[in-house]
Amino acid sequence: MSSILKERRDGRTFLLTRNLATGKRVYNEDLVVRDGVEYRTWDPFRSKLAAAILKGLPEDIITKGGKVLYLGTSTGTTASHVSDILGEGGLLVGVEFAPRVAREFVEKVARERKNVIPYVADARNPEKYAISRVDVVYCDIAQPDQTAIAMDNCKRLLKEGGSLLLVVKARSIDVVKDPRTVFEEERRRLEGSGYRVRSVIELSPFEKDHAMIYATR
Amino acid sequence: MTAEPTEEDLQSIRLESIQAAEEAIREASSRPDLHLVQAIQALDDTDKYLNVTATRASEWYGLHFPELTQMMQDNIALCKMISDIGGRGSFSKENLGGRGLTDKKVEAVLEAKSRSKGGEISDGDLGRVRALAKLALELSSQRDSLNGYVESQMKKVAPNVTEVAGATIGARLMAKAGGLDRLAVLPASTIQILGAEKALFRALRTGARPPKHGILFQHNEVHMAPKWQRGKIARTLANKIAIAARVDYYRGSADASIKSALDKRLESIKERYKDPPPRKPERRGPPPREGRFPRREKTRRR
Ligand SMILES: C[S@@+](CC[C@H](N)C(=O)[O-])C[C@H]1O[C@@H](n2cnc3c(N)ncnc32)[C@H](O)[C@@H]1O
Repeated sequence: MSSILKERRDGRTFLLTRNLATGKRVYNEDLVVRDGVEYRTWDPFRSKLAAAILKGLPEDIITKGGKVLYLGTSTGTTASHVSDILGEGGLLVGVEFAPRVAREFVEKVARERKNVIPYVADARNPEKYAISRVDVVYCDIAQPDQTAIAMDNCKRLLKEGGSLLLVVKARSIDVVKDPRTVFEEERRRLEGSGYRVRSVIELSPFEKDHAMIYATR
Repeated sequence: MTAEPTEEDLQSIRLESIQAAEEAIREASSRPDLHLVQAIQALDDTDKYLNVTATRASEWYGLHFPELTQMMQDNIALCKMISDIGGRGSFSKENLGGRGLTDKKVEAVLEAKSRSKGGEISDGDLGRVRALAKLALELSSQRDSLNGYVESQMKKVAPNVTEVAGATIGARLMAKAGGLDRLAVLPASTIQILGAEKALFRALRTGARPPKHGILFQHNEVHMAPKWQRGKIARTLANKIAIAARVDYYRGSADASIKSALDKRLESIKERYKDPPPRKPERRGPPPREGRFPRREKTRRR
């Protein structure tokens, strides 16, 4: 059974993830019960992964029992839903270098969820958190050189045939260029390094000038 | 990467990682910048006490051996002599050695001793002066230790501000702003005149020209520059410090490009404004009215 639930209401789709930490909230999401199981609502305006899924990203990239390296967890909004999806037996290695936001991630997400291992570290130093190879590298660090950082992490820690999910924020790479041009350049950068880019999904209307690049190796 | 970790391995790694993460967070939340802010103020306080104390010791001791206090430029070295040697009568070639004095100076001190016009001093008063001199020495070593702390901590806490402004000036700016977090959100125009609040309010009240620099005046590049360049240099410095503070606060790592951009900009200011501007004709007309908003200073931009 999938840990993501999609519900259609009033012509719109709503996402829910099965709550791994029953009874606990991470931010101010709603807890709801379906068929005796508790779920957390997953807001695409607050989570770029939810936005990408609603805009067509396949749901079977991150799966139950899988392992994910999450770069740039921030306070853990999206990471907590990824943890829900991975479920018991899954693993989320969460990396965030700003102590102020990492505090919430550690307190509210890592402490409450057995499948989460937190690191207050720079994604430029993968040796600091190299504990296991993973099925997916998820990268949302809003740095101008983040594609290079993501690829370096993949090289060291992504399993053969694994996936990279890369959130591209056009403005953090080039403030003046047209966002589409930026997305296209990042795609080519990945392809030039031997990745297969499966899709480039723009996240509007949920996020302006953002895209999710899905690539495999 | 070696073998895949087992579930058991992962749980023990997880607990360790949580502890390490919490430790890192605790360390960051001890706000080393606020400790620096206290340290730089303590340094400035200590400087003041040091000056006052050493000056008092010198003046007091001058009643007894005025020739020596006049001869010694360096108050700290003088205090060290007073504390080590004591009364005029005890000065000798031996105990004047090892103080970095030239032979000629040693001669002069001994010469002065033999013909001193200073008065006698009781043991009690000599003891009091010596205690004061010793206090000055302690303040001086406390001052040096605070200074060392500020220098090394600034490099860790605000490497880019330190690179651009220097450790002490950077720390003073941080103190005025109230912390690195506050400095990081100040506009460059405010940073430029931090420490010149009095002059600014005076300007607002009377319509006089607003100040061009506050703490930044202490920066070599500003006070060594010819007068007509100072405002421009201070503005450039303030711009780069604003960027540096942001990088320090949000990113935390050193970025050499800020300093090199500053150097380039200063170079071009010095080249472009080599010559003093032609003198402006005297301002005429009635003096600005009380309480009026100041006339905007016209600034030429590049
Ligand atoms: C856009 S936010 C991530 C939001 C989060 N993924 C979510 O959807 O809930 C980017 C985060 O990446 C972090 N970050 C930026 N550069 C980093 C680096 N080099 N290493 C680790 N984290 C970094 C920032 O501190 C920030 O919290």
